[in-house]
Amino acid sequence: MEATKIIDSRGAACPGPITDLAKAYRNSKVGDVLELWATDKGVKADTQAWATKTGNEILEVKEDPDKIVVRIKINKR
Amino acid sequence: MEMKKVLVIGGGGGGLILANHLDTNEFDVTVVDKNDLHYYQPWFLYIAFKGSKRKISRPIGELVKPGVKFVKDEISTINLDERKVYGSRKTVYNYDYLAISTGTTPDPDSIPGLREVYDEYGDYHTNVWNAEKLWSNISRFKGGTIAIGQSSPTCKCPPSLLEGAFLLEEHLRKVGLKDKTRIVFFTPFPRAYPAEPMNKVVEPMVKERGIEVMPFFDVDAIDPKNKTIFSLEGDSVKYDLPIVVPPCKGTKIKIIPETVQDEDRFIKADKKYMKIQGYDDAFAIGDCNTLPTSKTGVTAHLEAMAVSEIIQGRYAEFNGRINCPFDTAYGKATFVIADYNNPVAPYPPTRIKHMMKMTMARIYWMTLKGTADPIFEQFFKFTRPEKLNRKYASVE
Ligand SMILES: Cc1cc2nc3c(=O)[nH]c(=O)nc-3n(C[C@H](O)[C@H](O)[C@H](O)COP(=O)(O)OP(=O)(O)OC[C@H]3O[C@@H](n4cnc5c(N)ncnc54)[C@H](O)[C@@H]3O)c2cc1C
Repeated sequence: MEATKIIDSRGAACPGPITDLAKAYRNSKVGDVLELWATDKGVKADTQAWATKTGNEILEVKEDPDKIVVRIKINKR
Repeated sequence: MEMKKVLVIGGGGGGLILANHLDTNEFDVTVVDKNDLHYYQPWFLYIAFKGSKRKISRPIGELVKPGVKFVKDEISTINLDERKVYGSRKTVYNYDYLAISTGTTPDPDSIPGLREVYDEYGDYHTNVWNAEKLWSNISRFKGGTIAIGQSSPTCKCPPSLLEGAFLLEEHLRKVGLKDKTRIVFFTPFPRAYPAEPMNKVVEPMVKERGIEVMPFFDVDAIDPKNKTIFSLEGDSVKYDLPIVVPPCKGTKIKIIPETVQDEDRFIKADKKYMKIQGYDDAFAIGDCNTLPTSKTGVTAHLEAMAVSEIIQGRYAEFNGRINCPFDTAYGKATFVIADYNNPVAPYPPTRIKHMMKMTMARIYWMTLKGTADPIFEQFFKFTRPEKLNRKYASVE
């Protein structure tokens, strides 16, 4: 599935990638696929907790050499 | 030879530090601000939660060094392609180098119901009047539920949100209202403090002081009639006293081309050199840019120092260093320290750090002029995040 929006949060440690994800969520609609790029290791657990809380779906978590990529499908908005 | 013109928009922390570090024998430096006064924003906390009457503003004209010009004017449009900047009275400014340092704009109108709450109760993040208004509401409070937090993830100074809850709890205990009050701290982040290592340090205090945390709570709407705040994530909280920090947006200035701004009007700049995307002669420093770091005075300061070097033809870059003082109340504080390559260190709160935070409030005016630079250089050297992480993260 093509990403509707790429969110580049690389380098962000505080407050961290969830800032950008939550911002993108506000402007998203059902069916969108958000692709979050981060370097902060905490991103995996945090996006998982976020998805559980918001009822959205993690499609994939991938570790590239320079970033962690999390793809999220918006099912609830 | 004619001097190169540097135009700085905004006489806040970032703008003043940049202007005051440029050699005025070589550069013609002008600072433009829509206000006459510069405010020490961290003190809003002590006005809002302790009723402090300290004077926290000074005229910008007295904060620029000799040789730097200050003009009071509100900028409406910037044309980066023509190097022209338009003021409110049809004034047009030209430049060789431009630095935009306009901070953030509170936006209480973007969330239904927030404007009413904001006008009635004030907050602890936007200005002195709002902080005073909040203090008068807190002083009249007799017990019930206080819902306190940031309404959206983009906010200045990440620790200040929880600092507010800590100072509030200390106040309620002091006036004997603690047992009659429920403090609910809501946050869009997964935990009380967004960065996990610092959360580990402060979470026990949050628990011990009976502050309830509602994580993943992004304010979607407020119903002032039924005194309820609703989140995007589907939760709600009923309040007797709401303390809601409004969303922060970027500048209201129209910038040509508009592609240099994101959807919230923050200015896209590269994270090391603060150059506005696609331009070599224009910079965005401090809270107004999109850098992946916290919106704090310290980052504005360090970005400004790097830009002053770059404009003067020397190599410099910003490494993403953050250094936010974090008042945990009852006379103790810590610092949130990290940079682009090192995560936040779990730095424990102490009395000494609280004294440092209070000293900072006094020497702040010197930092704007650059006379405190040697102290800062030493401090930053001794508190490098990799060093702190080695010392404190390993004991876990
Ligand atoms: C409660 C609170 C606590 C904080 N605590 C800390 C702390 O402990 N440590 C820390 O480092 N930071 C702290 N901060 C953050 C810090 O205050 C800001 O990050 C810092 O002031 C940013 O500087 P700046 O130059 O980017 O913007 P600002 O200082 O906000 O300055 C922007 C300037 O631009 C001017 N301006 C805006 N638009 C225009 C226009 N169109 N034309 C002309 N002029 C314009 C404004 O009048 C203003 O003077 C705190 C903030 C708050 C609210």
